Amino acid sequence: MLAKLIQPKVTPLLERLLRDCDDIHAALVVTVDGNMCAMQQKKNYTLERLASMGSSLMSLGDTITAELKMGACNNIISENEQGIIAFMHINDKLVLISITTHKNALGMLLSHSRICAQNMAQEVGDL
Amino acid sequence: MSEIKLVFTGSLGAGKTTAISTISEIPVINTDVATTDKAAQRKEMTTVALDYGELSLDETQKLKLYGTPGQERFEYMWPILIKGALGLIILVDHASADPLSDLALFVRYFKPYIEETATVIGVTRTDLGVEHNMQAYHDYLQKQDLQLPVFTIDARNREHVIIMIQALTAMVEFA
Repeated sequence: MLAKLIQPKVTPLLERLLRDCDDIHAALVVTVDGNMCAMQQKKNYTLERLASMGSSLMSLGDTITAELKMGACNNIISENEQGIIAFMHINDKLVLISITTHKNALGMLLSHSRICAQNMAQEVGDL
Repeated sequence: MSEIKLVFTGSLGAGKTTAISTISEIPVINTDVATTDKAAQRKEMTTVALDYGELSLDETQKLKLYGTPGQERFEYMWPILIKGALGLIILVDHASADPLSDLALFVRYFKPYIEETATVIGVTRTDLGVEHNMQAYHDYLQKQDLQLPVFTIDARNREHVIIMIQALTAMVEFA
């Protein structure tokens, strides 16, 4: 299973993401078909179901973007009353989901998450 | 023009995406992605959100065809997609390890809708050398106090899918 192969490669990068950015409270890596690879959090969220939900949302984002011929879908952002969730592709098999409970932390969330996703893409290579 | 929403559901590999693609008159909107777990032995791609297609019955009626993901971890999509549906098609992969359990899962989940909504069962992949015992499906449904039409179909065959859809729309009209 891809998720098991990925887990040791991305876990240190998830730990670093949460360490480097105070505003990020949880982050996870999932496969595009909804399997959890790894997660880290500073709170006590139940994140298991977010793996499949994140893959559905990312796929819908890809489908809508393709419909409008806007190239690749980079991010999907969910801005909510009590925080922000960002979904972004690491590569064509993996998705990074990052969460903040700070409503004004979108910039930090996106910039740190994007760097993390790029590092993960390099780390996992062609797996 | 009146629009009727129909939902295709059923287990992984039962042919939901294929059936919708077979009859849709618009390019099907799908959310298929690469399968990365043990399901990859059965299918290279899997639906993670929905399929959508359309079929005009005549100048006055259009069918909006929605497909659900088949894997249970995506069950949160099922109530979203069934909302407002007038008909439900449950597809069963006859060649799976336990097709009756597959059917039972979806009958159990959608029972409140089945009791209020026109529903048909489509049994697929009966051409793969597995013994043809349709009676088992009827017996199971009878035990559940359900009287539902059961069709043997090839999801790639337009005529098969259309006949099943026509039966369902007739049930919708006379419900």
